[in-house]
Amino acid sequence: MKHSFIDKHSNLDSPVHRIDPRARLIAAFSAIVIIVSEPHGNLLPFAFYGVIILGVAAISKIPPAYILKRCLVVSPFIIMAAVSYPLSLTGKDGYEAGQLLTEGVRTGLTIFLKAFFALLLLILLTSTGRFHRLLAGLRMLGMPRLLGILSALMYRYVFILHDELLRTTRARDSRTPGKIRINRFRVYGNQAAMIFIRSLDRSKMVYNSMLSRGFSGEFPDMNKSKLRTGDVLVTGFFVLLLFVFRMINQPLIDQFLNT
Amino acid sequence: MPGGIKIENLNFSYTTGNPILKDISLEVGQGEKLGIIGPSGAGKSTLLLHLNGIIAGEGTVRIGDTIVEKKSLPVIRKKMGLVFQNPDDQLFNPTVEEDVAFGPLNFGYNRQEAAYRVSQALKAMNLEGFENADSHHLSLGERKRVALATVLATSPEVIAFDEPFASLDSVMVVQLLDIIEKLDATLVIVSQSLLPLISCCDRLAVMVSGQIRACGQKEEILKNERLMREGGVDMDFYRRVYKKYLA
Repeated sequence: MKHSFIDKHSNLDSPVHRIDPRARLIAAFSAIVIIVSEPHGNLLPFAFYGVIILGVAAISKIPPAYILKRCLVVSPFIIMAAVSYPLSLTGKDGYEAGQLLTEGVRTGLTIFLKAFFALLLLILLTSTGRFHRLLAGLRMLGMPRLLGILSALMYRYVFILHDELLRTTRARDSRTPGKIRINRFRVYGNQAAMIFIRSLDRSKMVYNSMLSRGFSGEFPDMNKSKLRTGDVLVTGFFVLLLFVFRMINQPLIDQFLNT
Repeated sequence: MPGGIKIENLNFSYTTGNPILKDISLEVGQGEKLGIIGPSGAGKSTLLLHLNGIIAGEGTVRIGDTIVEKKSLPVIRKKMGLVFQNPDDQLFNPTVEEDVAFGPLNFGYNRQEAAYRVSQALKAMNLEGFENADSHHLSLGERKRVALATVLATSPEVIAFDEPFASLDSVMVVQLLDIIEKLDATLVIVSQSLLPLISCCDRLAVMVSGQIRACGQKEEILKNERLMREGGVDMDFYRRVYKKYLA
């Protein structure tokens, strides 16, 4: 099973990687809540959030190209939502159809920035440590046991699907010199069906292997995480910084715009 | 009989109704090494899954003095280790250390004891220094040894191997045979690789269509060419190849 496409940069040594998963989870989700709670239309605060998030990304040593590649996978959905908002306002409330409202564009941009920063934070969260440690952290923070087991199983089984995708693609390519000349939809459909059937069989074998070694619903973790004072202080400072800025930024910006 | 295996009148069929195991009775003494040969689809792997209680048929399976049943599964799985044919089915954790520690931690050993068991099991498999390696980046031979280490870390009394020599080159087969030779446990080895199997087992059983056709000293079983052919082994082929190229 190939874990590298999720845990690719989890072994890097950086101050962010060294923080306990629980602290990283709290920091990331608090930051997302603070950023998302910004009122629509005001773009200046996002410059501050952007600098902070990019600073964390730089400290984490995760290659920018990797972060960008990850962002590109989800960005089209975010862009679609951000673009469709101002367009949805045209032709309403006496405005002519096709006339874009400045306010609508600003709101669309804030929607984009909020989603994009949340995405960046999640990419940083999942790339700065092993995913199963993150799950263990969630369990320690009170995630329900059943949800924890399901997530842990899904984490393991997603690699089986990935393995089978690679194998069947190799088998297909080995017999396809150039373009597929027969009905492509049928070929891809058959491959998809085969991936699911083979993954099901393999996941049964993996589960048998877990059972044979005493698996009873809990994934044991060899390295018990320790929440150090430093982790608490760094997380507290990070969250407090964003929170204080969120609370005071509106009057400051108003003052800045008025002068 | 601590550490031995006793199977009595074991029958099993999947929901489709075709019987997979038919009235199997078999006994393996403590510390004995039993090899099982048979053609594909004979039910060999299914029989091994019964030893660990992963599937349950009608009849009785005993590991040592413990009957394999639902309430005894935690004890059985501690006593009996299963090495799967495909190491990728057995290695599902991100690192070798976590894979090998999975069993000991599940069986209630503390982290310190589990870490000690991991180091001992990896040492026995000549895999020292592989603790933080990603299992899927290892060669097949190394993955097979890690799979065996995951079982050894729980110090089982009985170990069952499903096709341990499959896809290995002869150098790796010899390495694995050396490791098997040193194991202090009752062994059941299912394999279609005749030469490695007879070189490491005390007794041989032939399984055909869900039944044990014969079980006895390997020398006696090997003499019965008709029986061996039923078990999927053409002794004449070995003889011809040996005479032509190796004699």
